[in-house]
Amino acid sequence: MARPNEAKNGTPSRRLAHLWDESRCIACGACVLACTMTNQPEMMAREEKGWGGLASNIRRIESANEQGRPTLLLVQCQHCDDAPCVRTCPFGAVYQDDDGLIRLDARRCAGCSYCVTSCPYNVRWFHPDTHVPAKCMGDGCLDLIAHDQQPACVQACPAMARDFGDLNDPESSVSETLRTQRSRRLLESAGTEPKYFIVEGS
Amino acid sequence: MTPADLHLQVDVAHWGWSIAWFLWFVGIAGMGSVAYYFVRRSALIITIFASLTIGLLLVVSHLGRWWNLPRTLYLMVLDFDFNLGSWMLLGIATLSVHLVLTLLLLIGHLPALTRRIAWLKWTETLRAQAGYRGLFAGVGAFATVYSGFLLTQAAGIPLWNTSLIPILWVVSGSIAAIAVIELLYVLGLVDANVSAAGVRIGMVLDGVKLLAVLGFLHVALSYGSAGARYGAILMTQGDLALMLWGGVIGIGILVPLAIGAYTLLREKRKSLLAVSAVCALSGVFFLRAAVLLAGTFEPLVL
Ligand code: SF4
Ligand code: SF4
Repeated sequence: MARPNEAKNGTPSRRLAHLWDESRCIACGACVLACTMTNQPEMMAREEKGWGGLASNIRRIESANEQGRPTLLLVQCQHCDDAPCVRTCPFGAVYQDDDGLIRLDARRCAGCSYCVTSCPYNVRWFHPDTHVPAKCMGDGCLDLIAHDQQPACVQACPAMARDFGDLNDPESSVSETLRTQRSRRLLESAGTEPKYFIVEGS
Repeated sequence: MTPADLHLQVDVAHWGWSIAWFLWFVGIAGMGSVAYYFVRRSALIITIFASLTIGLLLVVSHLGRWWNLPRTLYLMVLDFDFNLGSWMLLGIATLSVHLVLTLLLLIGHLPALTRRIAWLKWTETLRAQAGYRGLFAGVGAFATVYSGFLLTQAAGIPLWNTSLIPILWVVSGSIAAIAVIELLYVLGLVDANVSAAGVRIGMVLDGVKLLAVLGFLHVALSYGSAGARYGAILMTQGDLALMLWGGVIGIGILVPLAIGAYTLLREKRKSLLAVSAVCALSGVFFLRAAVLLAGTFEPLVL
C-alpha cells in the first residue's frame, strides 16, 4: 500500500523549500495563526503544552540580542533531504514525497515519538486528539499546494517575508532569491540538508 | 544564562517514567540472560520473563497510538517494507525473539507443565544446551545494547548522542543482573558460591560504572553542544542533581561498594546483601531515569 505521492526510487522530482526573510518580518504572527487555522483549526483555542503557546507547525522563538534588542526566529519543519526522522521511524510512517517534502502516513504511525526526539530542530508536536506528531506541512497546506496555491503562511504574510517554491527550478522565485540575497540554514553541522532558508537581506 | 529556546524532550516527546522503567526492565532481562548462561536457575528465568513482559507492556502502553500498532505491523509485512536503519525496529525484532527464547526456557523449567503437555518435553533439554544458552545470552546482551542505541540515535537530543550510553547500559545492566542473583541467594534460590563471585564482580562493575557516569557527564559538560551541556547541568546541579548524586552514585554505587567491602573483609550477612542488591537495582533505575529526563533539544537561539 503506497504512501501518498511517495518519491520514486528515493529521488523526488521537485525540491520544494520554504524561505523566511527575517529582514522583512515584522513579527506579527499572521503566519503562525494562518498555519493553525488551515491545518489544525480545532487547536485555535488550545495550547501546545510542550512548547507553550498556540499549537502551530511554526514555532516562534523570541529572544534578545547582545544589545538587548528583541529578536525573533520562526522555525518549522526543514524538510531535510537527509532527515533523521525518516531514518528512525520504526514503521516507515515518515517518508519523503515526490515534491521533496517530508510527510507522515498516519496509517503507519503508532505514536512512539521517535521522530520527535530525532528532530534536531524540535519542530514536531503531539496532537492531543490524534496523537500523531504534527509538523509542517499539515493536510490543509498539502491540499493548497496540490491545487497550485502557496501554503497558508506564505499567503497570510502581510510583509512578503515568506516564499515557497522548487529549488530544482532555476526560474522559481525561491531560487532567484537564494541566488541574489544572503541566506543561512539552521544547524548546518547536523548534516540534515535542511530546505528552510532564512534570508538575511541583500 | 538560560537560552531562550530551551525545551526538555519529556515535555515535547513525552519519553518519561514509563520509558525509564522500560529501559530498566530490559537491562535486567538482557544482562540477566547473560547471567543465565552460568546460573541456570528457575527463579532467574522467571525474573527474566517477568521483566521482559512488564517492560514490553510498559512500552506498548506508552505508545500514543497503541491501537494502531497491529495495522502498522500489518502494512510493514504486506509491503515487505522494513526500515532496517531504525534502532527501534531492530529493538522490536530483538525483544520479540528474546521473549520467545525466554518463554521456551521458562517452559522447560516448569515440570508440572511439561508433564501435562508431553510435546513440550523437549524444552527441558534447552537449558543444558550451551549453544542455546549462548544464543540466549547474545540476544539478551544485544537487547541491552539496543536500549542504549535507541537513545544515541535520537538526533534531536545531543546529550544522548554518545556511544557511552550503550556502554553505561551494559555495565549497569550487568550490575542489575548480579543484584537479582544476590536477592535470589538471600531468598535461598541460588547457592552461596555463586553469590560470593557476584559480590566481587559487582564491586568491579560498580567502579567501572562510577567512572563511566563521571566520564559521560564530563564529556557533555566540557565538549558537548549547548543542548548536551544543559542536560548535564540539569543532572549535576539542577532538578535532577538529587537523583544523580543521591540515587545513582550514593545509593546505587557507594552503598553497594561499602557493603561489598564489608562482606569481603569481615562477614557475609544476608540482610546487608539484600540492602546492597536493592540499592544497586535502584541506582540502575535512577541512572536511566536521570539520563532520560535530562534530555534537552538543542537550543536554536542562545
Ligand atoms: S526538520 Fe525535523 S521533522 Fe522536519 S524533516 Fe528535518 S528532522 Fe524531520
Ligand atoms: S511517532 Fe509515528 S511517525 Fe513518529 S517515529 Fe513513531 S511511528 Fe513513526
